[in-house]
Order: sequence, then C-alpha cells, then structure tokens
Amino acid sequence: MIKEGVQGAAAVAEEDPQAQSKKAQKKQQKEAEKAAKKAEKQAKLAGDQKTEEEDDFAKDRYGVAAMVQSQEKMDRSLVLVKDLSPARADELIWLRARVHTSRAKGKQCFLVLRQQQFNVQALVAVGDRASKQMVKFAANISKESIVDVEASVRKVDQKIESCSQQDVELHIERIFVISQAEARLPLQLEDAVRPEGEGDEEGRATVNQDTRLDNRVIDLRTTTSQAIFRLQSGVCQLFRDTLNKKGFVEIQTPKIISAASEGGANVFTVSYFKTSAYLAQSPQLYKQMCICADFDKVFCVGPVFRAEDSNTHRHLTEFVGLDIEMAFNYHYHEVIDSITDTMVQIFKGLRDNFQTEIQTVNKQFPSEPFKFLEPTLRLEYKEGLAMLREAGVEMGDEEDLSTPNEKLLGRLVKEKYDTDFYVLDKYPLAVRPFYTMPDPNDPKNSNSYDMFMRGEEILSGAQRIHDAQLLTERAMYHQIDLEKIKAYIDSFRFGAPPHGGGGIGLERVCMLYLGLHNVRQTSMFPRDPKRLTP
Amino acid sequence: SFRGEADLDTLLGKDLGALRDIVINANPARPPLTLLVLHKMLCQRYRVLSTVHVHSSVSSVPPQLLSCLGPRHPDSYARHLFQLGFTLIWKDVPKLQMKFSVQNMCPVEGEASVARFLFKLLAPYPSDAAAATLVDSWVDTAFHQLAEGGAKERAAVMRALNLTLGRGPWLAGRDVSLADVACYCCLLLAGSASPAPANVQRWLESCENLGHFGPAKVLLQ
Repeated sequence: MIKEGVQGAAAVAEEDPQAQSKKAQKKQQKEAEKAAKKAEKQAKLAGDQKTEEEDDFAKDRYGVAAMVQSQEKMDRSLVLVKDLSPARADELIWLRARVHTSRAKGKQCFLVLRQQQFNVQALVAVGDRASKQMVKFAANISKESIVDVEASVRKVDQKIESCSQQDVELHIERIFVISQAEARLPLQLEDAVRPEGEGDEEGRATVNQDTRLDNRVIDLRTTTSQAIFRLQSGVCQLFRDTLNKKGFVEIQTPKIISAASEGGANVFTVSYFKTSAYLAQSPQLYKQMCICADFDKVFCVGPVFRAEDSNTHRHLTEFVGLDIEMAFNYHYHEVIDSITDTMVQIFKGLRDNFQTEIQTVNKQFPSEPFKFLEPTLRLEYKEGLAMLREAGVEMGDEEDLSTPNEKLLGRLVKEKYDTDFYVLDKYPLAVRPFYTMPDPNDPKNSNSYDMFMRGEEILSGAQRIHDAQLLTERAMYHQIDLEKIKAYIDSFRFGAPPHGGGGIGLERVCMLYLGLHNVRQTSMFPRDPKRLTP
Repeated sequence: SFRGEADLDTLLGKDLGALRDIVINANPARPPLTLLVLHKMLCQRYRVLSTVHVHSSVSSVPPQLLSCLGPRHPDSYARHLFQLGFTLIWKDVPKLQMKFSVQNMCPVEGEASVARFLFKLLAPYPSDAAAATLVDSWVDTAFHQLAEGGAKERAAVMRALNLTLGRGPWLAGRDVSLADVACYCCLLLAGSASPAPANVQRWLESCENLGHFGPAKVLLQ
C-alpha cells in the first residue's frame, strides 16, 4: 500500500497541473462511490446483526456477568473439576473454572476448563440449548478468564488424553464470564510446562526462569507450580505433625535482632529508630533460650535472612527455616536420631501421599525417585574424607568440604549405600561456629553434623555448649565481642540442660526431594541479591 | 575354631583411617541365612559395627529381620572404634548384592559369592588347589541343588553328603569350612520331610554344637 502511494505521488509530480486536477477529480468521485458502498454494506451488516441479536433465543444463557460485589447470596453449589467422573454422568452441574484453551470449529466450540492442576474438556454446540451467537461468544472468551458454567456431564467413548478428567466431557448450557482476562498474556501456560529440551526439538517455545518469576502469578497457575507448592505445604504439615507427636512445642521468635549469631558479615542491617538492628540469620539463640527456659523440645517455622551476595542455584536471601532444638539426656545422637527420623517421616509421607504431585513435577522435570534408608545412614567426617581420598581428592584433615567435594561425596555414598539422604557426623571443630561443643575424645573434632539430600547440604547442626564458662572461652577464641552476646551467654548461667539442634531450609528440601535444579522453583516469591519483586 | 590369622590390611587393602564398611543389599523375601551365620562368626573375631537399614524401595519388613544382627553394640555411636562395618540393607533387589570399595570393586552378586568373600576374612582358603575347589563345589551344590533344587536333586545331595561325612567329620578337610556352613544353612532353608541319614544327622549335631547357627534358626521360626 505504502509503496503504491509513493509511486502514485511520483507519477503525479511528473504530469502537468491540468491533467492532474482532472485525474484527481475522477479519483475523488471513485472514492466517494466506494465509501458510499461501504457504508451501505456496513449498515446492512449492522442491521443483520441487530436482527440476529433479536433472533438470538439463547441470549440469556451467556454473557459477561455483573461484577461480583456480593449483591446476592446464591444457593448454587459449584462442583470441583477434580470430582468430575463417570459417576456424575448426565447430571446438570455448575462449576467455576478458568478457560485454559478454546478452539472454535464451525458450529461448535471446544473449551478446556482448568481448575488448579485439574482440567476437563467442555463443548458448546449450536443446537436447541445454544445459539450460533453463544458459540461465537464462547470462542471469543480470552484465555485465563474465569467463567461460571452450567453443563451436563457426559461420558466419552474415547479417553481425552490431554485432560486430567479423561472419562467425561461437559456439554455447556450456560456460560458467564465472571472475570475477563486481558487478551495478551505475558507468557503461555503451555510453554511454561513444556519439559526442557522438548521445546528445542519441535521448535516450540519454553519460558525462561526470569520471565516466569517476573510474571509469577501466571507461572504459579501451571500444573508444575501447583504441584510443587502443594507438596511444599505437605512438607510443613508433615514436619509439624511428626514433631508434635514427639512432644515438641512450636515457638515464634523475633526476626529483628540486636546481634548476629554466626559472624556479622552475612546479616542485613535495618535502621531501628535511633540505632540499627539485624534481620535474624536463624532463630538459633532464641531456640536455645527456650531450652534454658525448660521448653525441652522446640521447633519453629519462619523466615530466615542471609545477606550473602551469592547468586547460585541454591541460595536465597530470605527463605523459610524449619528449626529444631531439643534437650537430650546423655548423647547428642539422641538429637540426630530425632531429626533424621523426622526427615524420614517427611519422605515417607511424601512418597505415600503426594505421588500425583511428584509425578506432575516429573513430567516437566524428570528425576530419579528420592531414595533413603531407615534408620538414616550416619557416617563420620573421617569416613567421608577416606572415601574422597580413595577417589583421588586431596584434602586436609581439618578442611571443610567444598561444594564440589560435597557433591562428589554424595555420589560416592549413593553408589555404595544407594541413599539420597545421609548424615555426616563429627566435623572438625575449626570449621564450625563458636557455640559448637568440642568432641571430648578428640579436641580437633566437634559434636556437629550436616545432613545431605542428593549430595547437597540441607541441615547444619550440633550439640551446643550449655556451659557459660566454656561458651565464653570459645567466643573469645573466635574473637567475638562478648558485650554483644552477653544476653545469650547469660541464659546459660542459671542451669542449662545439654541440648542440640539444627535448621533446614524448606525450599532446599523441596528442590532436592523433587530433583529440581534451582531453589527459585520452590520459592513462591523468591528473594535473591538481584530480585526484590514481585 | 578357625586356624590362621587374617590380617585386614592384607585382605581388604590399606587402612585409610576409617571404618571398612561392608554393605549387603538383601531382599527381605529371601533372607541370606549363610551371611547371618558368617556375621556372627566375624563378630567373634573382629570388632564389628553391625547395622540394619530398610531401603525406601521396601515398605515394610518383619521385626525379626530388623533385629537379625543382634542387639545394638553399646559403642555403636563411635564408628571409629570398630575394625569392620557390616551394614545390611533390606532392599528390593533381584539378587543379593555386596558393595565394599566402590572405587576398586564392582558390586559382588549372589549369596554364595558374598559368603566366599566373608569367609576369607575368617580363615584363608586351603592353599591346596584341589581342597579349595572342593569347598567351592560344595558351596555351589548347597546354593543351587539344596536351596533351589527339586526333591529328587535334594535326595541326591543328601546321599552325597552322607557318603562324604562317612569319611570324615566335616565336608572338606579336617576343619569346619564354608562348605559346612553353606550346606547346613541351605539344608535348614530347604527343610526336609524325611529324617536325615545317620552321617548327616551326626554332622548336623556337630554343626549345632559350634553355636554359630542361632541367627539362622531364629529367622526360620
């Protein structure tokens, strides 16, 4: 069009002015005729539409419903998509769901209606219930809109492979839009659940992590996200249930604190009126004070902050910590046994009750099922070192495990014992925090332990020093300002039971249980050095 | 009752300053009686840290299998105090499996092969090739013909046992050997409708007098 115009203009410039005006007149006339015709056509079309609308016998059966402002309390029960089964065949039901996809085909329109991780096929066809206009309306509902639908449930002869409800479909009799979605979505749900690699082969799109996180609300609607966070809720539930059964008390601790518990480098400082405070790196000190206050066995679920500027697949600046602290009788292995048993109960609970969710996640992110032993395998640091040395790793006796060595050791342990979960006990004292109890038999060792899932650390714990004198010595050795931790040390002066504990990162546990590769996938609204929104 | 000193450094390689842990994966549907007996013998000889685990591939295991290595050693919290680890994992495996040094050894499959490995920690195999082969052949007979064979095959083995035991107190040589342990356990497992012939009967009694077979018998009850 533009090209023609340009050529036309060039031609006009070449001709003499008179001829130009004549030609222009002709042209104008022609254009006027054209416009008149067009207007006539449009008027006719509008008229047709009007008559059609007047003719529409189904006009009460569809439309955009008024905004729900709670103007009436309807006595209508909405059926859940996951409950749609052949048992409800031929029933007339109402349900509310999202329009996942719609596909119009002549006189009928197929919709996939989605509710959480379940979906069902629905059909609007021109007939005695639905008019042509209604089918057109249904086809034009934008993806992700929320609709109320009245439909009859019908059994199907052939399984509908693409839906979670494979044995039935819905024949829509009424459809009302409750909330209309904007036509353009920032990402397509199908693209967001496509397994990595599969998209490349077929030339289809996948959505990268940042786009997902920028549009988290939409990304959370995918079947994979739905499954991940339902499973995460299950982890918390199982954690609480198991510990409650063991006689633990749930506590709430402050997150704004006056002193850092594990060195000051990786804490967030916040301004606090005329002074400054820190965001808690762990509820460590408070858990211990509760032990000194005779709560005996406590746990706490809450946010934990780390100001480490590390942009890795497994670090967040804010995560949910599941923390345990308990008094024991004679040996800190009582604590290890209690924690590992809790973990095993969580793994078993997930294995037995969340199989659907695990498989849903596996469809997009395939991984080996999580394996574990009961009771949990416990190796000593020295044994770990021996295994690594046998594999050719050179490491000092008092050196901490580097991340690659940690992973290698995980692989070696998996090869020998076939478990994805184990405890490494008796860490060198030098690499642990000041409040760690030294090993009575070897002053270079400590009564501390790490727990690993799929070769990555999920828990760091130890027997704590419950003797104010020794605690002061160790703090001084670590060059910690005694003034700043006075309240902490003082809590042990008036009789403190021997105790130990540890803390787990909820997101890491979920990530590693499901064999995912990035902790942001298991954090609903992840926070890292580069992300503060949404 | 076992002659010869077995040196773990020679048998299992250089001491790396950590527990030498032998891992055995066994299916709870087929408890390895021979290995339980050998375990008891190892405990008399070495400081053995024995642990039983259940792998996540198995949902439940009868309680007698959980305690089949005996009560927990009072020092079990300190793994470095032991010379040898015996870690039995009840797992859904088609064939019994032993893992020791994952770097240098492939997993050893089959109860008979594992039994040979464990027995060598107790007593050296006869240096005489013929005698060593004799032991091996009795072990094969035990696992293939006694434990898995039909009634006819078992009867044939019984006759061979009776004949051999008529010539000496034990199956191979002047001392009790792996041949005796394997045959005893497999006989126990196979059960027998008819009473054993005289020589076999006498041998069974001698075996029981050794006192090693307790764990195997408990499991069969």
